[in-house]
Amino acid sequence: MRAYISVFKMRLKMETQYRGAMLGGIICQMFFGIVLVALYRALFDSKAQTIPIEQVTTYVWLQQAFFRMMVATDMDLWDKVKTGNISYDLCRPVDMYWFYYIRISAQKLMGSLMRGIPMMIVAFLLPKGWGMVLPTSFAGLLSCILALVIGLLCMCALENITMGFTMRTLDAKGMQGLLNLLMVTFSGNLLPLTLFPDSWQKVITMLPYAQLLDAPIRLYTGEYPVSGAPLIFLRQAVWAVILILLGVWFWRANRKKMIVQGG
Amino acid sequence: MNTLHLYIRSMGMLLKSQLQYTSSFIMQTLAQLVMEGGEMLAVILVIDRFETLKQWIGGNLFFFFGLMSVSFYITEFFGRGVTGNFPSMVRSGQLDTLLLRPRGVLTQVLCSGMDPRRISCIAVGVVALVMGSSMSDVSWSVLKVLALLESVAMSCMLILGLFMIEDIFCIHSVKSVELVNALTYGGRSACQYPIDIYPRPLKILFSVVAPFALTMHVPASYILGKPLYGWPVWTAFVTPLSGALVLAVMIMLFYRGMRFYRSTGS
Repeated sequence: MRAYISVFKMRLKMETQYRGAMLGGIICQMFFGIVLVALYRALFDSKAQTIPIEQVTTYVWLQQAFFRMMVATDMDLWDKVKTGNISYDLCRPVDMYWFYYIRISAQKLMGSLMRGIPMMIVAFLLPKGWGMVLPTSFAGLLSCILALVIGLLCMCALENITMGFTMRTLDAKGMQGLLNLLMVTFSGNLLPLTLFPDSWQKVITMLPYAQLLDAPIRLYTGEYPVSGAPLIFLRQAVWAVILILLGVWFWRANRKKMIVQGG
Repeated sequence: MNTLHLYIRSMGMLLKSQLQYTSSFIMQTLAQLVMEGGEMLAVILVIDRFETLKQWIGGNLFFFFGLMSVSFYITEFFGRGVTGNFPSMVRSGQLDTLLLRPRGVLTQVLCSGMDPRRISCIAVGVVALVMGSSMSDVSWSVLKVLALLESVAMSCMLILGLFMIEDIFCIHSVKSVELVNALTYGGRSACQYPIDIYPRPLKILFSVVAPFALTMHVPASYILGKPLYGWPVWTAFVTPLSGALVLAVMIMLFYRGMRFYRSTGS
């Protein structure tokens, strides 16, 4: 256990290192956010909707703020698989799945906090109808934060499944592209899930991808009432467990079939 | 002519080498297809929910989306050297070898890479264009076909020019500058919808600094029969030339930048 905790701490620190690159990333992400908000505002002008525009802009900003949580991947592991250095990891006295699970979770947590918090501050300062609004209630905010934590657990489990494909086939760009596409589409990054056709939403909100950011954001905006929060947490937790079990099984199967690249 | 011949030869060789790994190629091309299909799905869902966007009907929006995909991915297909490989060439010092050869640096960079997987993205774009033009009841004429061809060609030049900004920065700073993505990929996201829906600062950005609006939206809106800002027909043929202008300026800056190039030495 102590080994895992120190790995977690080390990765947290490492992620705080590249601050210069981070600023560029933040500005870029803000720009994408503004373009999206402008687009949705124009669309809302064309046809009034039942959802208020503030809810959509808040959705967009929270998605942009936590974008890093979705896309951060462990490039070291990627390289290790390609060069064959993964054999060293097989010798470590820790379980490989959890070793990388902890690493990626620290990376995603710190990466998204460091980018997300400045972005959210700026988004609050934007004029009304463009920026973020405050959560409907304090309880809503708290439940959003808890949901984000469980969402992070799901996200890391998904990431490890994708990595499992890399180990299996060495060059999993195609597979990874497909999985990332599913994630970007059904997590609400490409288009807020609240704007999907209502009949689709019943199904998509049940998928694992909606547990990552969509569920926390809906708790924040009050679309999901706080009274229903325990049920949401349960749904997220069930998915987290399923995804982790799937990942553990997949990695174990990979371990047996692993071909270490020479070089 | 020699340069062009060289470029075509290189493209042929690159294509052959990429097709060596057939299964990987097919898989990645499919992934690209699904990716671009996902982008199109977003447009379909938007049209499904909102029906119109200001004065533009659904078919018009497909047309704009298709024009952007076709131009953007043709550029990535044939200009991979500029749009993707250059920063790593600078970092690894590979660029030095290009300086020794008796050909222009830019030519060699262009000859160094292509990305045939993008063919599926271009296909999605073509489908969107066809769908868009039939849904908007476009009555095609020779003039309109010419306008479309010019628009695609000039947009490709513009996009290539914008990607070169990153390369120019890279010559000076070695590290690639993520910020430029706001203009290239940000421009793609923003300008797959017509420019006149955006607030003034974005309008200025995408008409003056990165003139996607001039190379795409002015001719496209002429083809769709809803001229942007009510501008006369000749503007649909003149404004796209700004794409060539941007590229020319960037080529100049690129060679100016190359004079200050210092190898990383690795």
